[in-house]
Amino acid sequence: MSGPDDRRQVFTGLRVLDLSRWVAGEYATKLFADFGGDVIKIEKPGDGSHTRRWVPTPDDRPEPEANPLFLHLNTNKRSVAADLRSAAGRDLVLRLIARSDAVVESFRPGHLEKLGLGPDILHRLNPKLVITRISAFGQSGPYRDREATGIVLQAAGGPMNATGDAHRAPQRKPGLLEQYTIGRTAGEAALAGLYHARRTGKGATIDVSGQEVLLSSADRRASYLLSTAYSGIDAPRGVRSAHRGSATFTGPFRAADGFVMIYITNQEFWNRLVRLIGAGDEAFQQRFLDRPRLGDDWDDFMAYLHAWFAARPKIEIMEVAEAARIPCTAFLQMDELFVHPHFRQRGAFVTASHPVAGDLDYLGAPWRMRDGFQLRHTAPALGAHTAEVAAELGAIGATSLHQDVSRGTLP
Amino acid sequence: MNENGADMRYPLEGIRVVDLTVVWSGPGATALLGDLGAEVIRIEGNNRLSRQASAKTTRAMVEHAGWHRNTYPDGDPEPRPYDRSAIFNWHARNKLAACMNLETPEGHEAALKLIAISDVLVENNTNRVLEKLGIGHESLLELNPRLIVARMPPMGMAGPMSNYLGYGPNFNSLVGIAAMDGYEGEDPDSAGENYHMDEAAPAGLAFAVLAALWDRDRTGRGGLIEFAQAENVMQDIGEYFLDYQMRDRNPAVLGNTDPSLLQDAYRTAEDDRWVVISIRDDRDWTAIGEVVGDADWLSLGGTRAQRQANSRKLRDGIAAWCADRPVDDIVARLQAARVPATEVMSETRLLNDPHLAARDWFKERSHPAVGTYKYPGHPWRADGFDLAFERALPAFGEDNEYVYKGLLGYSDERYQDLVERGLVTQEQLA
Repeated sequence: MSGPDDRRQVFTGLRVLDLSRWVAGEYATKLFADFGGDVIKIEKPGDGSHTRRWVPTPDDRPEPEANPLFLHLNTNKRSVAADLRSAAGRDLVLRLIARSDAVVESFRPGHLEKLGLGPDILHRLNPKLVITRISAFGQSGPYRDREATGIVLQAAGGPMNATGDAHRAPQRKPGLLEQYTIGRTAGEAALAGLYHARRTGKGATIDVSGQEVLLSSADRRASYLLSTAYSGIDAPRGVRSAHRGSATFTGPFRAADGFVMIYITNQEFWNRLVRLIGAGDEAFQQRFLDRPRLGDDWDDFMAYLHAWFAARPKIEIMEVAEAARIPCTAFLQMDELFVHPHFRQRGAFVTASHPVAGDLDYLGAPWRMRDGFQLRHTAPALGAHTAEVAAELGAIGATSLHQDVSRGTLP
Repeated sequence: MNENGADMRYPLEGIRVVDLTVVWSGPGATALLGDLGAEVIRIEGNNRLSRQASAKTTRAMVEHAGWHRNTYPDGDPEPRPYDRSAIFNWHARNKLAACMNLETPEGHEAALKLIAISDVLVENNTNRVLEKLGIGHESLLELNPRLIVARMPPMGMAGPMSNYLGYGPNFNSLVGIAAMDGYEGEDPDSAGENYHMDEAAPAGLAFAVLAALWDRDRTGRGGLIEFAQAENVMQDIGEYFLDYQMRDRNPAVLGNTDPSLLQDAYRTAEDDRWVVISIRDDRDWTAIGEVVGDADWLSLGGTRAQRQANSRKLRDGIAAWCADRPVDDIVARLQAARVPATEVMSETRLLNDPHLAARDWFKERSHPAVGTYKYPGHPWRADGFDLAFERALPAFGEDNEYVYKGLLGYSDERYQDLVERGLVTQEQLA
């Protein structure tokens, strides 16, 4: 290898073993891989990671070697196919552990111990190792073994009871957002552990409870919890911006070709909005300027606003609102994001070629810094690096393993 | 690399962070650095609402503030609202607070002295605010080449929309998250609100700062972190960005449903208490069937294809079953059958939750400005080092003497002069 691939990154020389199979763990290790770490994914022979099979709509058939979720989460990683329940697979992992700085796992609590890979064993082999364990409810406590999915985590940890309309069901956040929050936090925990290990020579075992990550989050849950501790009153559902007390309004409105999101949070924004939508309508302006709160005329104002939005395209609304310094942005969809001049001009997307998925634009740096993000290579095929990693470990070359290694799989 | 001996208690012991953050995402990030044992010093001007709470807020005013009143202990903002607001105090653990008005020569000078002896500066103000104050990152890095300056403009520091006005949900809408948010099959509407950008930024920023410290050990140099919050949160829907390119489609509004699971939120027999239930596979379906016992819809969901085809009918069946039962009973029976289920937890329920109590998650702390209350705990825990949860919050100006005299070496006379001129106070004036 030569050229740009040799460029040094923050985590060049750092090795992270990824035993996880779902979004949170894979996002945690992606942070290390994208910033230069050697992240080795241990995948179950035949099946591989669950993220190879997740599909965005019920009608899709998973394509394990070209699944969007796997492709996104596993850039810059290497894949080793090994069965952790077999002696050879376990042996390989233990050899890798001895040469790794960190391991991330998201099995059910207790499973790692059952595999004979519990923290005690791993730390005996490598006292500096940072072991990050991700689970739904943590490694201890009465709900440790409870079953969970994304919506269960959002309901138990996130601010879900304060979202949705007052008389309808609470509303989860879309996609796999909660998984990313948990994974990003697990990545932060792992790096904190590595920094501590570098300074002291001592490893650590980190317990990341998905529920607790969400409970402590800035998405208002922590502030709601403290408010309730202070006052005894639960956060309400069906109230936009529960933390805001003044007469303001926020939310989505229908434009001619989609939606816009408006945030009128103070009198200044209010007056700018009245002047914008009431341009040329002196009576409207006189009626609504400088009003700290509306009464019966709220419906009149809203009807006028709805009509004004409905007659205009969302981008035009955003541009005139921005020119008037009013927080009001267009709802973009993926096709619009893909060609968006702001993100394109900033180089927020990076084109790369994958042997099965072909040329695609991947999301680029989540933040920019010296020695930072690079897309060195796309996500690996299942077991693509089994032989390579086995060779690096050298001593593993027992003849009985040879055939399996050449097939790209360890038994 | 063992700087302080092998029994260093916290990962970031000895690291000093100057905190110029406001509102949600920035303060959430510096809270995480404080958890790791960094000395996080908030610089707060007494002429501005750096804590989102005005000194002029009175008991009478919050009477009309709706739920917002509950942000204050017992609904009472007085006498020092800026020390008593949950909007500040949720992230204030471990932090120090020093009064410095950056618009005055004295405040500017003190800030530069502090930055010169610090490791990290974090700010999430509008683009160009630091430059207007004469503390842009370029001059700070000249002053202190080991400094790490983390800046968090939502759309980045450059680009055609970098100065667009907006709150978190505005940027959620620009990156495609808001268009996915809402009730199943309806118009997108982040019913209630979705502040995912605020949720995504803190751990990302803390990771970035740790990475920069990691790199500094090798290079001896700090540098700029440009943390465009929109580009960070965009990562959380990266699969849809690729899916669009591969299948030429935009994501639909799925509400509480899921493409692979049979799931929803259901009303229970108790007033406004809801349960969420997910059926992942055939085993879960058999298990919920055994819990429910006898119902005509149970024959319609034995396979994944059936559960997809009959999703509405099956969820109506589950809804009818839940509607007659108390929520604890539903959750206990389904979890005993290993079916994912939980109540949609209110804050009160969480404050009294036996699992969180067993894990000692909430931390009870006292502060004279507030009293004794339970505070939300850490996002994670470690065996091998500690996370800090010392003082629950700094009162405004509580650490003035420590910072000016202890860290900056101001004499008693010089400090007293600043106090007498009203430049250093323990009261927020705005």
